[in-house]
Amino acid sequence: MRLAIGIVAVLLAFALGASPAAAQGKSDLTVALSSFSTEVLDPVLGGHVVKYYMSLMFDYLVGVTPDGQLSRDTGLATRWEPSSDHRRWTFYLRKGVKFHNGDEVTSEDVKFSLQRAIGKRSTTGYAGPLRALFADIETPAPDRLVIVTKDPTLIIPTYLSRSLSTEGMILPKKYIEAVGDDAFAQKPVGSGPFRFVEQVTGSHIKLAAVDNHWRIGVPRFKTVTFKLVPEETTRIALLRRGEVDIADVSRERVKELEREAFPIHFRREEAILTMWWVLPRDGQPTKDKRVREALNLAVDRNEVAQSIFAGHADPAYVPLGLSWSYRDIGFKVSSEMQYPYDPARAKKLLADAGFASGFPLTVHAYQLPGLPEGKAFAEAIAGYWQKIGVQPKLVPVDYPAFRKSWFDRATPGAVGYYNVANRDWIGTYALLEKQAYSKSKVSDTVNDPEIDGMIEQVMRQTDKEKIGVLMRNVYTRLRSEHYGVPVVYLHSPYAAAKTLGKWNPGNVMYDFFIDELASSKR
Amino acid sequence: MARFVLARLVQSLVALAILSVVVFVLARATGDPLHLILPMSASEEDYANARRYLGLDRPYVEQYASFVSRALTGDFGTSLRARRPVGELIAQRLPNSLRLAAFAMSVSLLLAFPLGVLAAVWKGTGIDRAAQVIAVLGQSLPTFWVAIVLIEVVAGRLQWLPAGGIGGFTSYVLPGFTLGWFVVAGMMRLLRSGMLEVLDSEYVKLARVKGVVESRVVWVHALKNALIPVVTFAGIYFSILVTTAIVVETVFAWPGLGRLAYEAISSRDFPVIQAVVLTTAAIVAVINLSVDCLYAFIDPRIRYVR
Repeated sequence: MRLAIGIVAVLLAFALGASPAAAQGKSDLTVALSSFSTEVLDPVLGGHVVKYYMSLMFDYLVGVTPDGQLSRDTGLATRWEPSSDHRRWTFYLRKGVKFHNGDEVTSEDVKFSLQRAIGKRSTTGYAGPLRALFADIETPAPDRLVIVTKDPTLIIPTYLSRSLSTEGMILPKKYIEAVGDDAFAQKPVGSGPFRFVEQVTGSHIKLAAVDNHWRIGVPRFKTVTFKLVPEETTRIALLRRGEVDIADVSRERVKELEREAFPIHFRREEAILTMWWVLPRDGQPTKDKRVREALNLAVDRNEVAQSIFAGHADPAYVPLGLSWSYRDIGFKVSSEMQYPYDPARAKKLLADAGFASGFPLTVHAYQLPGLPEGKAFAEAIAGYWQKIGVQPKLVPVDYPAFRKSWFDRATPGAVGYYNVANRDWIGTYALLEKQAYSKSKVSDTVNDPEIDGMIEQVMRQTDKEKIGVLMRNVYTRLRSEHYGVPVVYLHSPYAAAKTLGKWNPGNVMYDFFIDELASSKR
Repeated sequence: MARFVLARLVQSLVALAILSVVVFVLARATGDPLHLILPMSASEEDYANARRYLGLDRPYVEQYASFVSRALTGDFGTSLRARRPVGELIAQRLPNSLRLAAFAMSVSLLLAFPLGVLAAVWKGTGIDRAAQVIAVLGQSLPTFWVAIVLIEVVAGRLQWLPAGGIGGFTSYVLPGFTLGWFVVAGMMRLLRSGMLEVLDSEYVKLARVKGVVESRVVWVHALKNALIPVVTFAGIYFSILVTTAIVVETVFAWPGLGRLAYEAISSRDFPVIQAVVLTTAAIVAVINLSVDCLYAFIDPRIRYVR
C-alpha cells in the first residue's frame, strides 16, 4: 500500500511540479517543423542555417518581396547605386532603426556584419565569391556604406539580400564584441520584428514581437514559437488540437487534411529533384552523350510526379534548372527541351553507343531532409533504367556518406541526387559556380570548358542583358549535353490552422515569410 | 558495505575509461561531420577553415587527450552542430529523460504490481490469462506503432491529451504510457512467478495457519519477499528508459537524452556522442550500484562480503 501511495505521489508531483502547458491564444503563432537545420542562431558561424526564424530576428541589408524581388521597403538599405565603373556600391541606410538591445543600427554594424560574413570562420558557403570580390568596405557616414570591389560587378545587392543566404543579415557590432561569438549565438540580438526569447535545443525557439517595427508595423502576433516535431503524425495531431498554426506536412497527407478543411499552402517548385553522376567521366559509359540522353529518356517524369509525389510535383527537364531564376534571365523551357518518356529510343541510343546489353550503374539511395520519398524515388528511377537494359545497383547509404564519395570522386560514374532548393538567378549562379564549374573541383558535376567560360564571364559582367544571355546559354548547354537527370520540381505543402487567414509563403530559398503573415501593413 | 561500494566505483571508472576510447574511435569512424554542417556550395577552403575552427584538423591522439583532460573537469567541449557547450545540452535534456522515465516506471509499477499479484493469487483463472495478454501485448507491439496510434487516436481524433512536446502533467501521459507498457510485461511475469514461489513457502502457510488476514499475507508478507528480482529488473529498465527512449522521444517531440543521442549520431557530432555515451554509462553504473544497495534494505539477510 505504501508503495502504491508513493507511486501516486510521484505522479501527483508531476501534476504539481511540471509547468503548465502554454496557453495558445490568437496572439501567439506556433509553427511546427520537422527540422531546424543546425539550430544555431548565429547567421554566419552556424553552418547550414535555414532562415525561417532567423529572418524574423534580423534585418537584411537588402530586402526582398515574398516573390524574391529586391525591395527598398523591406531591407535596411532604402536605396543603393553603383559607380559608373561598377566597382563601388553605395548603400543608403534607413535611419532610426534600433537593435533589440537599444543600440542604433549604423554603417559600422553593417561593415562589421559583412566582414564577419566573409571571414575565414564563416560557414555560410556563399562567402567565397564575396571574399574574392570585396576590396574594401567604407563607412563615410553612419547611414551610408560603400562596398569597393576588385572587379566590376552587378551581384552585390542580390548577394546581400534576403533572396540568397545569410551573408546580408545585419548584426550588432558592439554587442558581439562585448559578449563574444558563443554568447551571441546563445542570446542573439538583431533588429528584426521579433526578438529572441528562448531556445531549448531539440524542442523550440521562441520569439517575441517588438512593439512596432518599420518592416511590418505592429505585429499581429505577440510571440512566434517554432517547435521541432520530427514525426509527421504528431505535427498533424498538434494541428488538429489547435496547438500549432502551421506545420510542414508530406505530400501524401495533403488530401486527407484538405478533406478536413485545413488550408494547405504550397511553396510551388520549392526544389528541383535532380540526379547527377560522380566525376570524372573518363572511362565511364556516361562520357558518351547518347548514354546520358538515354538515361533521361528512360524516366517517366509524369508517372514519378503522380505516383511517388502524390501529384504535387511537375516534370523538370533542365539539369540544375532552378526555375525561380527563369523570369530574371528570360529563359523558357521549349517543347523540344522536354524529354518524352521513350524507352525504345533510349534502348536504341544505348545500342548506338555500344551498350546494347546495358552496363552496371551504382545508384545511391538515401533519405534527405524534407524528402521522405527519397529512397522510393531512387528505387523508381533504378527501375526505369533497368527496363532499358542498364543494371542499376542500389546502394543504401546516408547522404553524408554519398557526399563524401562524391566530393572525393571515389565512385566515378555512380549516381546521387538532391532536392536542390529553388532560388533566383544570383542564387542559381552561386550554385552553378559550385556544381557546373570545373574549377570548383570538389562539388563539380559537369566539367565542360564551354560552360566554364560562360560562368567566369557572369561574375564580372555589368550588363544585365548580357548576364541573361550567358545564363540562358549555360542552361541550354546543360540541357543539350544532358549533364544530369532532372526529374521533378517539388511543391512543398504547409498545413495551416483554419483561423490563420491569408498567407503567402513566397518564393525565397529557406524562408517562408512569417513576418508577412505577422504584418499589420498587409 | 563501504568496501563493496568502493570496489564497484573503481570498476565503473575503469569501464568508463575503456568506453571513452571506444566511443572516441567509433564516433570518428562514422564519417565527416562537415558534410552535414557545411552547405553543398562550400569550397575546399571553407572545409579547411571549418575543420581548423572546430579543431578537427588536429591528430586523433591530440584530440583524445584534449577530450579526456577537459572531460575530467566536466567540460565535454562544444557541440559541432548546435555550437553550444555539450554540458549545457545534456543539462537541458537529461532532466526531461529522467522525468519521463520516472513517470513511465510509475505507470509500469502501477500496472505490473496488481496484475502480477492477482495473476499469482488467481493462477490459471481468467484474471491470470487477461494479465498475461496485457503483458504480452505490451512487449510484442512495436513501441513506434503504439506511439503513433495513441497520437492519432487519443491526441489527434479524440483530442483528450497533448500529442507531443513537454509541458504539464498531461504531456507525460501518452509517452509515459507508451514506454511504461513495454516494461509492464517483464515486471508482471517476474512478480507473478516470484509470488507463486513465495505463496507456496512455509512461512506464508504458517501465517495463514496463525489466522493472518489473507490480504495482509499476500500484499505484505509475500509481496516483500518476491520483490528482489523485480527491483533488479526495474533498476535495469529505468536506466534503459532514461538512455534509449529514442523512438518515443522522437515521436512525441520530447527533448530528451535519447533524441540528443540520435541527433548527434545522425549529424556526426562527436563531442555530443562521446558525452552522451559516457553520461548514460555513468547513469547505468549508478543505478546498478543503487539497486545492489537496495537489496540489503529489502532483504536484511543479504550482506555484502569480500
